[in-house]
Amino acid sequence: MSKHVTEWLNAYLDGELRGIRLHDVEAHLAECQACQEELQSVQGLSALLQKVPVPEFTSPERFAAQVNLRLPHGPPAATKSKALEMGWWMIPVGLVAVWIFISTAIMVSDMVSTANEIGLFGRSSAWLGTGSSSETYWAATLGQFGILSGNSLQWAEVTEAFTRNTVPQITWQVSIALLYLSWIAIWWARHTRQGHGQLLES
Amino acid sequence: MATVSAANETELVTRAQSGERNAFSELVRIHAQGVFNVIYRMCGDRQTAEDATQETFIQAWMHLLSYRPRTPLRNWLYRIAVNTATDMLRKQKHILPTAVEDFYLTDPRPGPEALFSQREQAALIQKAILSLPDASRAVLVLREYEGLSYHEIADALDIPVGTVMSRLNYARSLLRNRLEGQLLLQVEAENV
Repeated sequence: MSKHVTEWLNAYLDGELRGIRLHDVEAHLAECQACQEELQSVQGLSALLQKVPVPEFTSPERFAAQVNLRLPHGPPAATKSKALEMGWWMIPVGLVAVWIFISTAIMVSDMVSTANEIGLFGRSSAWLGTGSSSETYWAATLGQFGILSGNSLQWAEVTEAFTRNTVPQITWQVSIALLYLSWIAIWWARHTRQGHGQLLES
Repeated sequence: MATVSAANETELVTRAQSGERNAFSELVRIHAQGVFNVIYRMCGDRQTAEDATQETFIQAWMHLLSYRPRTPLRNWLYRIAVNTATDMLRKQKHILPTAVEDFYLTDPRPGPEALFSQREQAALIQKAILSLPDASRAVLVLREYEGLSYHEIADALDIPVGTVMSRLNYARSLLRNRLEGQLLLQVEAENV
């Protein structure tokens, strides 16, 4: 005898099974006394639940008039949910815009720094400051006190420059990518929710 | 419940969305009984159910522009109804706890000598339903009393079909345990 079909009996009784699943349940019920009794019990419960009456309700006309009196004046307003829905669709646009803005800012900054290094700005570049020395501030300080020297000083400078420049860039790019992927995941989950119904059929 | 074709209902909704109160009143007349039934099954108290039904339609009017006709209006109203009933029960905590307490004080397994009158039996079943968790009760009510399919329930409550199935299994399993005595009487009555 095949495996008991207890977990599918409710769906079977409600007429929600299709295809192979329906065939399997029917085939099993034909030969399993325990599952037949279980099905009878579920059917009995449905019949029992119908014994609870609903009290008489106000006449629909009278009720509609009562509701009409309580309705706010004016036409139904555009609700927050509409604004929220608009906001929801603007999220990926906003993320892409932020990404473009930051990338452009960094690119312009790099171009200005490079131009400054090759002397394109001449003396007028004083306002740009001394980026490279500030980037290795801690390594230089440690070097002055003799804590670091030679190769270790170079490594410290490279590491510090990496930490100051590259890590923040990686961090914000990964953050934006994660937010974008999260948005896609939520969108996907919402749109495939109905797809769960397929489990009743196979 | 009054019936109306899908095309007519869509037209009424469009008119109501543009602010026509008469069209909305027509929708209220069509769906009032169904909404009241759902809420009454959810809370078991007539006055609370009437208040919550009114509140449901007021909420529906206020959010009517967010309604999309791809979902049947009935399902959309049932979602508001279930949420309104749950909120009301949360605010009026005296309704459910009393009902649940009464349920446990009542012996759900009467001996052969204790035959229940129809009214007592109905009260016992109603209390057993009220003792279910809100989420399972909503699914049970929509399936057993309103006859919605699993997909319609999923649509109305905005949950996956798999969740509908598991909540329904859970609710029925709990009810079968709690109403075991009544079920035995039911089977005996059917066999006589």
